[in-house]
Amino acid sequence: MKSGLGKLSPAISSGHSLDVGSHFAALVNGSADPMLSSDPTGTVLSWNAAAARLFIYHPAEIIGQSVQLLIPSGTQAKELRSLESVAAGKVIPPFESDWVRKDGREIPVLVTIYPVKDQSNKVIGASLLVCDLTEQRKADESRFRLAAIVDSADDAIVSKNLNSIVTSWNEGARRIFGYSAEEMVGNSILQLIPDELQYEEEEILSKLRVGERIDHYETRRKKKNGEIFDVSVTISPVKDESGRVIGASKIARDISDRKRIERMLIQSEKLAATGRMAAAIAHEINNPLESVMNLIYLARQHCAGSRIPHDYLVTAEEELERVSHIARQTLGYYKDTGSPVEVHLHDLIENVLTVYNSKLLATGITVDSSFNDLQKILASRGEMLQVFSNIISNAIDAMRQGGTLKIATRKVRSAAGDGIQIVIRDTGIGIKQDHLENIFEAFYTTKGDLGTGLGLWVAKQLIEKRGGQISVASNTEPGHSGTTITVFLPFAIPVLRDAEEQR
Amino acid sequence: MPEFSSVPIFAIENFSVNQAVSTLGKLDSPQPSRHLPKILVVDDERRIADTLTEILHMSGFDVAKAYDGWEALRTTEHFHPDYLLSDVLMPRMNGVDLAIAVRQKFPAAKIILFSGQAGISEILQEGQRRGFAFELIAKPIHPVKLIERLRSA
Repeated sequence: MKSGLGKLSPAISSGHSLDVGSHFAALVNGSADPMLSSDPTGTVLSWNAAAARLFIYHPAEIIGQSVQLLIPSGTQAKELRSLESVAAGKVIPPFESDWVRKDGREIPVLVTIYPVKDQSNKVIGASLLVCDLTEQRKADESRFRLAAIVDSADDAIVSKNLNSIVTSWNEGARRIFGYSAEEMVGNSILQLIPDELQYEEEEILSKLRVGERIDHYETRRKKKNGEIFDVSVTISPVKDESGRVIGASKIARDISDRKRIERMLIQSEKLAATGRMAAAIAHEINNPLESVMNLIYLARQHCAGSRIPHDYLVTAEEELERVSHIARQTLGYYKDTGSPVEVHLHDLIENVLTVYNSKLLATGITVDSSFNDLQKILASRGEMLQVFSNIISNAIDAMRQGGTLKIATRKVRSAAGDGIQIVIRDTGIGIKQDHLENIFEAFYTTKGDLGTGLGLWVAKQLIEKRGGQISVASNTEPGHSGTTITVFLPFAIPVLRDAEEQR
Repeated sequence: MPEFSSVPIFAIENFSVNQAVSTLGKLDSPQPSRHLPKILVVDDERRIADTLTEILHMSGFDVAKAYDGWEALRTTEHFHPDYLLSDVLMPRMNGVDLAIAVRQKFPAAKIILFSGQAGISEILQEGQRRGFAFELIAKPIHPVKLIERLRSA
């Protein structure tokens, strides 16, 4: 060390060119980046250790050879032109190229070329600084590949910082949420969260801050068009080199289809279970009812002479008819196997009203009917009884304080064909607007424990099976409240559906 | 209230009784005779079979009863029914199998099946596949209406 320092100091102080030259040679040789120099014709004059490592040529093998050895034939012309401009005294700014190693393998490099001038400023050669880009190229490739994967993903892949500001937004996110990257990057992610779920973001952030990951969290998010949909989100903290959480990456998947199928499955499971239960209960109720009906009938025959017991039995028979009716209505929502018959709908509706007569009287409901359906219609009597008794029973339930039940039937002509329209209007409490859209769904009830949620659903199934339509309108405004159910039944029997039933 | 609907019930009842009298002879003497229509009532619910037997007897039918399909088939060896009224879901032999056997043996017999339960459509369909369709009515049914249905069968 001491001798080395002793050697260096005189060289610097004296400005001895030979010593400076050897120091400089050591510096160049020790450089991690390949360096070489050539004369103006491109013959290699010097070759550092890094160049030897990268291109595998030993200095002895390349010094005196042309730099063309390093340049693939395809790009030689261009790069030789560069050398020419260097000869003219120009610096060639860094350019990327692929150069060839001794074993023929091409490697990506960044090359900068400086002219080397003598004291008279004449260009005597060129120095070439070469930077190995292999690692960088690899990193770039994997970055591009990742970006392509991210963009081609069906899921929304988004990153945000800890202030909930979106920092990246992929193509999937655009498809799912409807916002483009330009619209979202730099803006708050809160605009994707429905108002009532805004608190979630704070919970998510507090988990992220302590480095926790959130896996497959199912929630709802809002699209640009305001639509709310089901998503599954996975959120992971993004950390910097020191391990500090600086943001989060978020993968969101649209699961509305899956949710819809799940709901349908649950619904059909419920239906199947209810169907099985109804069938079992129906057996246990209808058979005893049949026996009791027969017994009462026999008792009546045997006391024909005495008025009072006879009247009791007649009343008992009526009450039994009510029970039978309810049993048919609630337990009998199976396919009526009776074949369609010609019915006068007004007869059928009056029949239903007879069953509810005592209830109507007790509640103080007046019935105002106008029947103009002179034509008979081919329908399953049992099913139509079920339809109208469900609708009328709902109307009665809505008018606990009494009211008017208006029933009108008339023949109508429509684009879908001629048929009979039945309008049943009550002056009851009405149905809230947000309940209206659900009232034809199975197990949906506004009557709490008193309802099965099956009545109108069954009615709709039966009417649609017959090719008809049912609709509802309602008003809850005190003084004008009430519900109107409109049913249309075409005279024509739906042919295709009927054929299906026969199979 | 009782007055209100007892009237139509009486009316139907009287109507069917009159019908029975006019087509079957005197109601006062419902003894089995060659002139009375023969009906076989089959139900594993004995109370139903028993009460219907009595009711149909009062309405002028010559009635035999059985508590299951096999018993019913045995009965037909000496009792040739004009009518068969049978439950569907019964042990040993269901109503449809019984009805098919009766139809093959007595092609002119009028057959009505009745049931208190859904879930029998498969049994009925099986019968249809074998080329036999039967009228099905739902329990409970008022005796007066049942008699009407039998007459129109």
